[in-house]
Amino acid sequence: MRRGRGLERLIVATVAFDLLFLALPTLVIILASFTAGRIVAFPPEGFSLRWYQAILEKRAFVDAFARSAYVATVCTLISLPAGTLAALALARWRLRHALAWQLYLLLPFTIPLVVSGLGMMLLFGRMGLLGMLWPVGLALTVINLPFMIWGVAACVNRLDPDLENAAANLGAPPLHAFVTVTLPAVMPGIVTGGLLMFILAFNEFIVSLMLVDARTVTLPVLMYNSIRSTITPDLAALSVIYILVAAVTVWLLDRLVGLETFLRSR
Amino acid sequence: MHSKPRNLRLPRRRFLTSTAATAIAAPYLLRLPRALAQEKPAEIIVRAWGGVWVEALKKGVSDPFTAMTGIEVRHDLTEDNEIRPKIWAAVDQGRMPPIHVNWDTTTNATKSALRGVTEDLGDLANLEGLLPLARPVGLEGWPLVNVYSYAYVLAYSQKAFPERAPESWNAMLDSAFRKRVAMYDDGIGLFAPAQIAGGGRFEDIPDNMEPCWKYFRALKANEPLLGEDPDFTNWFQNHEIDLACTIISNAREARQNGIAVSWTVPREGATLDTDALWIPKGLPENELYWAKQYVNFALSAEAQQVWCNALGLPPVRPGLEPPADLVGDIAYPASEADLDRFLRIPTPVLVEHESSWFEKVNEIMQG
Amino acid sequence: MKSCRADIGAGGGRADRPVGLRLLDLAERLRAGLFPARFSVWTPYLYLLPATLITGILAIGLVEMAETSLHVLNRATFRLDPAYTTANYTAVFAKPVYLHIMLKTGLAALLVTGFTLLLAFPYAYHLVRTPHHRLRRFLLIALFLPFLLGQVIRAYGWLIVLGKQGLLNAALELIGLGPVSLIYTYSGVVLGLVQYMLPFAVLLLAPALTAIPHEVELASHSLGATPWRTFRHIVLPLARPGLVAAGVVVFTLTVTDFAMPEIMGGGANDFIANAIYDAFFQLSDAGMGAALGIVLTVFASLIVAVAFLLVGVAALGHGAQQKPRVRP
Repeated sequence: MRRGRGLERLIVATVAFDLLFLALPTLVIILASFTAGRIVAFPPEGFSLRWYQAILEKRAFVDAFARSAYVATVCTLISLPAGTLAALALARWRLRHALAWQLYLLLPFTIPLVVSGLGMMLLFGRMGLLGMLWPVGLALTVINLPFMIWGVAACVNRLDPDLENAAANLGAPPLHAFVTVTLPAVMPGIVTGGLLMFILAFNEFIVSLMLVDARTVTLPVLMYNSIRSTITPDLAALSVIYILVAAVTVWLLDRLVGLETFLRSR
Repeated sequence: MHSKPRNLRLPRRRFLTSTAATAIAAPYLLRLPRALAQEKPAEIIVRAWGGVWVEALKKGVSDPFTAMTGIEVRHDLTEDNEIRPKIWAAVDQGRMPPIHVNWDTTTNATKSALRGVTEDLGDLANLEGLLPLARPVGLEGWPLVNVYSYAYVLAYSQKAFPERAPESWNAMLDSAFRKRVAMYDDGIGLFAPAQIAGGGRFEDIPDNMEPCWKYFRALKANEPLLGEDPDFTNWFQNHEIDLACTIISNAREARQNGIAVSWTVPREGATLDTDALWIPKGLPENELYWAKQYVNFALSAEAQQVWCNALGLPPVRPGLEPPADLVGDIAYPASEADLDRFLRIPTPVLVEHESSWFEKVNEIMQG
Repeated sequence: MKSCRADIGAGGGRADRPVGLRLLDLAERLRAGLFPARFSVWTPYLYLLPATLITGILAIGLVEMAETSLHVLNRATFRLDPAYTTANYTAVFAKPVYLHIMLKTGLAALLVTGFTLLLAFPYAYHLVRTPHHRLRRFLLIALFLPFLLGQVIRAYGWLIVLGKQGLLNAALELIGLGPVSLIYTYSGVVLGLVQYMLPFAVLLLAPALTAIPHEVELASHSLGATPWRTFRHIVLPLARPGLVAAGVVVFTLTVTDFAMPEIMGGGANDFIANAIYDAFFQLSDAGMGAALGIVLTVFASLIVAVAFLLVGVAALGHGAQQKPRVRP
C-alpha cells in the first residue's frame, strides 16, 4: 500500500499550525499575567504574582465571579431537566411533525445572539424582570438549550430501546423504568450537556451585556468593560482564572465521559 | 422643578447630637429637613470614564468620600451612551436605576434632564460660589450641575513634529499620517473645527454642515483609528498614532507616563465643552441622600482641587490653584475671559442635533 | 422462589424495601393519579413541554423586536413614535452605510468559513484517523481548551499578540521582517474569528469523518488510487454532510458575531451585530436597531434553511440516527 508522503506531510503541517494557532492567545495571556510591569507588553518585564493578588483584592472582580457562578448554576439547573426530556422525546418517539419540532428547538441557533439578547431585554423589561440575576440565568438557558439537547441526544441515539422494553416486561411502571433504566443509560449525555451548559453560561458575554447593569454585572461583561478602559495586566490574571476553569472542565469531561465521545458519529 | 425650601432648619442642638459621621461631615451637609442619620448604603455606584478619568475621580472625590463617610464607591465604566437607555428604561419601568451618580457630558445630561429622569440638585450647599458655567442652560433649577470645562485639542507626538506644533486641523488629513491619526468614534469634539477647516463658517452650524462632512470624508480617506478616552492614551503610549483629536487629559496622561506627546489649539480653534454630574430618579430615599452628599462633595474646593488638577482641567469652583505643568498652557483657560477664545456650540443646539451628527459620522466612517 | 415481579412496582407495605424504592413507589402513585396510562400517547409532548416553553421565551422576544421595529424615533423626546410604519426597513435598505456593513459582514463570513474549513478538515481527519490514542487525546484537549474560553478572552489574547509592540511584530523583527499592523484591521478581525470558529468546525466534521469506514479508503488504495485521488473522490464526497454542517454553522456564527469586531475592529470594522447594538445604545434608536435585527435574523435563517434542505436536520445531531449512504 503506497503512502503518499506529500498529502501526509500537508496534513501534519496543518495540524501543527492549527495547534499553534489555537494555543497562541492562551499562552500569551498566561505569560502576560506574570509581568511585574504596569502595562501589558510582550515580552513581559519581570516575573511577579502581584496581579493575581490584585484581582483577589478587588471586590468588584470577586463579586462578579460569584455572580457568574450563580448565573451558570441557575442555567444548568434549568437546562438539565428541560434538555434531557426534550432529547428523549425527539429520539424515542416517532412524532408527527418531528421536523417542525426540531426546527423550533433550534431557534436559539438560527436567531443571532444579539437579536436574542435584545429581544429578551425588551421582553424582560416589559415584565419587570431586569435588574435581577436569576432572569439572566434563564436567558442563558434559552440561548444555549440546543447544546444540552445535543449532548443528551448523542447518548440517546445509542440507547437500546430493548432495555426499557425489558424493564416494562418485568413489571416496572414507567417512572421506575425511567429512573432505573433510562436515566443511568443517558447519564453520560446529561453530564456532557450539563458541563457544557455551565461553562458556556460562565463565559457568556453578549446576552449578559444586554441584561446586566452595574449592580448585577457578571465577570465576562466586567472584563469587557475593563478592556475598553486601560488594558492592565490584572485582566490577564483574570483570564488565567478562566483558563483554569476551562482546564478543569475539560479534565472533568474527559474523566466522566471521555472526550472521544465527541468524535462518534451521531 | 423647584429647589427645596431653605428655611426649614433643625434646632442646632438636635442637629449636633446626631451621628458622629454627620457631625464630622458638617461642612458638607445639605440643608434638608431630615439631615439626621440617613441609613448608609453599602456602596454608591458612580459611572465614570476609564483610565486617567476614573483614577482622577478616585483620588479627588471617591476615596476622600469613603474616608469621610465609610461608604464604598464603586465605579461603573459602562459608556455614557450605553447606560443612558438602561437608566431611561429603569425609570420608565419603575425600577431602581443601575447607578447612583452619573458623570456625563453636559449634552447627555441635558437630554436626560429634558426627559425628566434626573433628580433636582438645587439644595446642595456647595452650589454657592461656583462659576456661572456650572449652571445648566435652558433648564429650570438644577437637574444637573456642570463640574469643569475642557478643550478638545489636537494632540501630536513630538517625534512627528519635532520643530513646531501643527498649525491646522488639516494636518490630520495629511496622507503621511495614514492610519496614524485618531478621533472619538462618534466624531465628538471635531464638528466645529472640521466645519471651519472644511472651508465653512462656525455661524453656519447647524444649518449648513457640508464643509464639516467634507472634512470628515477626507479624514476617512486617511483611515483614522476610532476610540474612546483610554484608547488615545494607550495609542500614544504604544506609538500607534501621531495625531489625535482628543481631550487634553488623555494626551497629558501619556505625557506624564514619559511619552513625548504634546498638544495645540490650531488656527481654526478648538471646541470647549463641559461635563456634568446628575442623579437618576428612582433611588430609595436614603441612597438618594448619600448620592447627593457625593455630588455636593465633588463641588467642594478640596475635591475640585485634586480631581480637576489630576485631569488638567479648569474647575467650576473659582480661586483654585492650577496644575504646575499647565500654567500658561494655551489649552487651559485660566479665567472666564479665556473661555471665549474657544469654539463653544450652545447646549440646546447640541441637544437637538448631536445625535444626528453622530449618525452622519458613523455613516461616513463605516461606509 | 421470589418473583422479580413482586419486588418491582409492588407499591408500599414492605418494610424491608430501601427508602429509594419506596419514594419511587410514592412518585409512581402520584404519576398514576396525575397522568394515567391512557394518556401515555401524550408522554412525548409532556417531555417536550419544558424545552418548548423555554424556547418560547425567545420566540416572544423576537415578536417584541418585530413590534419595536415598526416604530420610528422621535428625536425631540427620544421615545419611539406610537404610530406603525415600515420606515425603518426602508432606511435599512436605502442607506448606503447599512448595505456596506452587510456586504462587509457577508464577505468576512465567506472568508472565515473558507479558511476555517481549510484548517479544520486536516485537523479533524488526523484526529479521527490517527492510531495513537495519546495523540488523539492531546489533539482533543488542545481543541477543547480554547473552545471553552469564550470570545472576550480570546480577543484579549489576540490584542496582545497583534499589537504594535506585540508578539507577532517581535517575532517578525527577529527574522528581519518589518512590523505589520494587523491590530484593529479587517484582517485582524477575520484572523480572530477563524481561530474562534476552528473548534466548532472540527467538532462538526469529526463525527462525519468517523462515519466513513477506513476500509473504504484502504480499498481505494489497494485498487491503485493515489492518496490525493482517494481524498478527492472518496473522502470529500462522503464527508459532505459534515462539511455542509460545519460551513453553515461557521458562516452563520460569523455573520452574527458581535464580540470580535467590537474588541478587535478598532471602531471602523463594524459587523451587522455591532450596528444593531450601536443603534440601540449609541443612537438610542431602538426601532432602527430592531429592524436591522429582524433583517439579520431572516437572512441567517434563510442560510440555515437552505443548508438543511441540502443535508437534512440530522446533520446537527437531533433525531434518530441516520446512516450515511456510500455512493459507488
